Amino acid sequence: MSSNIEEIGAVAAAPSHVKATRKRRSRRMRKLFPYLLVAPAVIYLLGITLYPGIFAITQSFYAVKFGPWRPVGFENYIDLWNDREFWAALWNTFVIGAIALTAQCLLALLLAFYAYRDPWVQGWRIIFLIPMLFMPSAVAFIFKLSFLDARVISDILIGMGIISENLAIPSSIWLSRLTLIIADVWQWTPFLFIIFVAALQAQDQEVEEAARLDGASWGAIFWNVSLPLMRPVIVVALVLRGIDITTMFANVFIITKGGPGGATETISYFIYRTGFKMFNFGYASAASVIMLILTIIVAQVVVKRAFRSERV
Amino acid sequence: MTSPRLSRRRLLQTGAATGAFTVTAGGLAGGLTAPALAQSGLPDPASVLADISVPKYVRQDYRELYNMSDAPLWDPNKDWIRTVDWEQVRSELAGTTVRFAIGAADTESAAEGLAPFKALSGIDVELVPIPDDSFYDKAVAEFISGNASFDALQFFSPWLGDFAAPGFLAPLDDFAAKWGLPLDDFYDTYRLNYGFFNGQMYGIPFDCDIQMVHVRKGYMETLLGGSIDKVNSVPTYDELIRVARELDKVEPGVAGVGLMAGRGFWSTYTWEHIAAQAGMMLFDENWEPIFNGDAGMKGLEIILELAKVANEGHAGAGWPENRAAWLGGQVATNISWQDSGTQAMRPDQSQIVDDFVTIYEPRIEGGRFAPPNIAGSTSCVAASAQNAEGAFLMLGFLTTASIMAMNEANANGVAPGYRSVLTNAELQKVSQPAKVWGDSLDHAWCSPRLPGAFPIEQAIGNEINRAVVGQISAKEALDNAAAAVRGIMEDNGFYRGRDPVEYAAAAPGLYVGEGKPLPF
Amino acid sequence: MAALRRKGESRVIRYLILVAWALFCLVPVIWFLSIGLRPRTEIITPEPIYIPTLSLDAWHMIWSDWPMAQYLRNSVLAIIGSVLIDLVLAIPAAYALARYRFRGREDIGFYILSTRMMAPAIVAVPIFFLFREMQLLDTIWALMLVYAAINLSIVTWIIRSYMLDIPPELEDAARTDGASDLRILWSIIIPAVLPGIITAAVIAMIFAINEFLFTLLIASTPNAYTMSVALANFTGGSDGVIYNAIALVAFLAFLPVFLVVVAIQRHLSRGLTMGAVKG
Repeated sequence: MSSNIEEIGAVAAAPSHVKATRKRRSRRMRKLFPYLLVAPAVIYLLGITLYPGIFAITQSFYAVKFGPWRPVGFENYIDLWNDREFWAALWNTFVIGAIALTAQCLLALLLAFYAYRDPWVQGWRIIFLIPMLFMPSAVAFIFKLSFLDARVISDILIGMGIISENLAIPSSIWLSRLTLIIADVWQWTPFLFIIFVAALQAQDQEVEEAARLDGASWGAIFWNVSLPLMRPVIVVALVLRGIDITTMFANVFIITKGGPGGATETISYFIYRTGFKMFNFGYASAASVIMLILTIIVAQVVVKRAFRSERV
Repeated sequence: MTSPRLSRRRLLQTGAATGAFTVTAGGLAGGLTAPALAQSGLPDPASVLADISVPKYVRQDYRELYNMSDAPLWDPNKDWIRTVDWEQVRSELAGTTVRFAIGAADTESAAEGLAPFKALSGIDVELVPIPDDSFYDKAVAEFISGNASFDALQFFSPWLGDFAAPGFLAPLDDFAAKWGLPLDDFYDTYRLNYGFFNGQMYGIPFDCDIQMVHVRKGYMETLLGGSIDKVNSVPTYDELIRVARELDKVEPGVAGVGLMAGRGFWSTYTWEHIAAQAGMMLFDENWEPIFNGDAGMKGLEIILELAKVANEGHAGAGWPENRAAWLGGQVATNISWQDSGTQAMRPDQSQIVDDFVTIYEPRIEGGRFAPPNIAGSTSCVAASAQNAEGAFLMLGFLTTASIMAMNEANANGVAPGYRSVLTNAELQKVSQPAKVWGDSLDHAWCSPRLPGAFPIEQAIGNEINRAVVGQISAKEALDNAAAAVRGIMEDNGFYRGRDPVEYAAAAPGLYVGEGKPLPF
Repeated sequence: MAALRRKGESRVIRYLILVAWALFCLVPVIWFLSIGLRPRTEIITPEPIYIPTLSLDAWHMIWSDWPMAQYLRNSVLAIIGSVLIDLVLAIPAAYALARYRFRGREDIGFYILSTRMMAPAIVAVPIFFLFREMQLLDTIWALMLVYAAINLSIVTWIIRSYMLDIPPELEDAARTDGASDLRILWSIIIPAVLPGIITAAVIAMIFAINEFLFTLLIASTPNAYTMSVALANFTGGSDGVIYNAIALVAFLAFLPVFLVVVAIQRHLSRGLTMGAVKG
């Protein structure tokens, strides 16, 4: 049985037919043809990755304000190293991202487990999908209003007798982070749910049946049979979601502005604030370069593997 | 206030809405660019000016509510549009165009409001809308991109130095003299701080703000057992702390005090407001930061006390959040701009119409009466302007006494800074805070206009916000801030022998109340 | 078949959990809709108002006070333009990756994929300067180019995944008839992977609608403001945050997207994983 994941290097369909039908063309042209096909896309992408990468690296060695660029050597990097706010931003990005990702992965698995064999799975899918289709800025406003300005969450918790006074969310590091986490979980758990349900539905039903006949409970089957089979899918889904979480911006921009005291400032918000609020472009570029290096490491180690994943 | 975001949404909207101006020529409102009227086709200035009047501009429901007569809310002799020679303007500039950067939310209403200017001058106005929320960043981005697409702009006055120092703004002294702008009618604190940078005129005061203390009438009267005295009911900040504690318990969902202590400049402004009463100055005469001394500490300690009984959102609150909490009835007292007082009078947005009083600034023992002239906005001409003189004249029109007075009467958040307006008895009828506000201005405190003001505001506010949420102590916050500010000043060329701003040029605006008798 | 399988697990727990999550998804949405349909004075109050007075204030405001039609137009043009750019670039690239063996194919494929990992914040500053040089700041052309770049990797990989599913025999007949590769791509492959192309286009559309940071930096006037960023920036200036208008705009933007996505929902999981999971 094969997993749902294809190999990156799977099968090129058919060098043989290609060869057979292209005698007229020169060998050289034939060799060049696939490159010509990918070239426009690759050139376009280089334009938005390689060019900015080089630009950012160059600019990170200058002080760039309103006037001409002034070379400063490694000063921006040294300042970053000593910048409490930069380290805090890295840490915040990690903490908020890790918790949100774990929570939505577990929730999505739980929901997928209960939904995929349900006769109304289509219906659940459409309902669960809804949060994902709101613009992120709209979602941010929903949560800003209910958690902060209109204090709906406090009101509900008071009504349930859990707390006795309105929560001072913006004063609390963890409640502020929790607000961002809940907003992210609300909006993006469906992303994982949809993928997991599809993966479960695609699995070989007979294995489950066999285990079922052996008297295993559905929970045990899910845990021992389905889940291991899903592992490659889970990895791919988490990688994609994980990337988006670490670039979280709109929610921070609208809900917390990085407060209290910087406890929810993500690395994206940090770069935006130093670059486009303080107009310290060189410094922002230095932070971008560090983030770029981290991204490349993650991409090489995790992503390449996830998308190449061996057949199970 | 009107914060940076200050949008002047309803800027002059009412006049146009009542259909006063048939001269809109159908062009402005629609495409924002009307074909220039041929000079010969321009209407008689007197008839246009006659239409800029209370009955045509001020909302009818307000006029009825406050028993206003049709008498002007200004002194016609100090109303620039009624003193300038429009025929001369027309002969020199009719047919030209001015491009004006304005908060995006106000584009359409401004287009309508500027129609009479077009009729008077023959100068066409094109509006370049810039989003309110990021006016500073967008304006800077336009300037540094070297192709600023506008002639005139208005922005938060504390940033005057940020824009003037790199040479983004055109000096206005010559135009002001040529066209007889009544600068003397502005309160000193507005003229000096919104108008001048390093001794040169760059701005015409536009939205003239002050921070004040507002209290809810019902709660306060119950607490006092009688009516409120604007001077003596809350005479000191110690008393405000006590009152806030009491009022915090008064009703579920209502906090003792509303406070802006969010990250960035909001925290800075709230702290400056209170610390100024303790006698705080930001810098000494060598531009060394001294705000982490006793007076600065006193201000921050008061904030930390107030924070205990402040609305839950205070640590994330800027002006929009604070405004919502105040107008929504979530706080019993509020520290904010005077326009929290005027806007609370709007029944379509406020739950507390007529249930509040704006009081005189509470004092601090050993300090001084120094009501804070904080933020506000000024209007300037870009150095790269294609039509600098036309831009200047348009700003003169927008900021003229009569139009500013009627903005205030309509409570639209754009505030006048003219003595002749705020002391007008008719205006005081319709603008609840006007009397206290006008009295306070002769004693106003203000921060200096410097290059780097924006990052300085951010740096101080971020540290204060950390202190408010308990991450660091008050002392640490101010010491960190002082160190950060020194670094920013250095980056902007201070301490190298030749400061970009002379302290002597800025000093007169910093505290205008020296030696003056108290107004009460 | 499903009925059989239900034995042995508690239906009560299953429906409890699914219904609870459905409520968690829907209640905030319904409450937010109620914000859009109430007057401003009932939004922020000492205690929340759950049953508001019905009011269409917000509806009138978004059309009369804000250039909503312009934002809508910008969003639609930028998104459609970007999707077209993507398809033109991605289809040949996907075809090469799916059908040819050539040196560096895996590296090129991975490079295309890896651009998906690039955080907008990393390239924000350089892209800002680049568009400044090109005089494209504050135009929908810039938005189009950026959205296309963001989505190109996704679109390429999704289409590639669908192309891999086409049996090679389909092309063989045409080849023996002497049809050129481009002709085969155009008249055989593209029709065969149409569902994949549509899926890729819809996914790209969702990501483009959601794009926030670049739009925030590129757009500075209604010239280029899209719904997503307009919502955050046009909070009414001196009128504060006008939640009822924001809520209504959010719904107006949501509805068409919802309908389109429901239409392709069978392909959604495959699209969201860039083709890695076949639903």
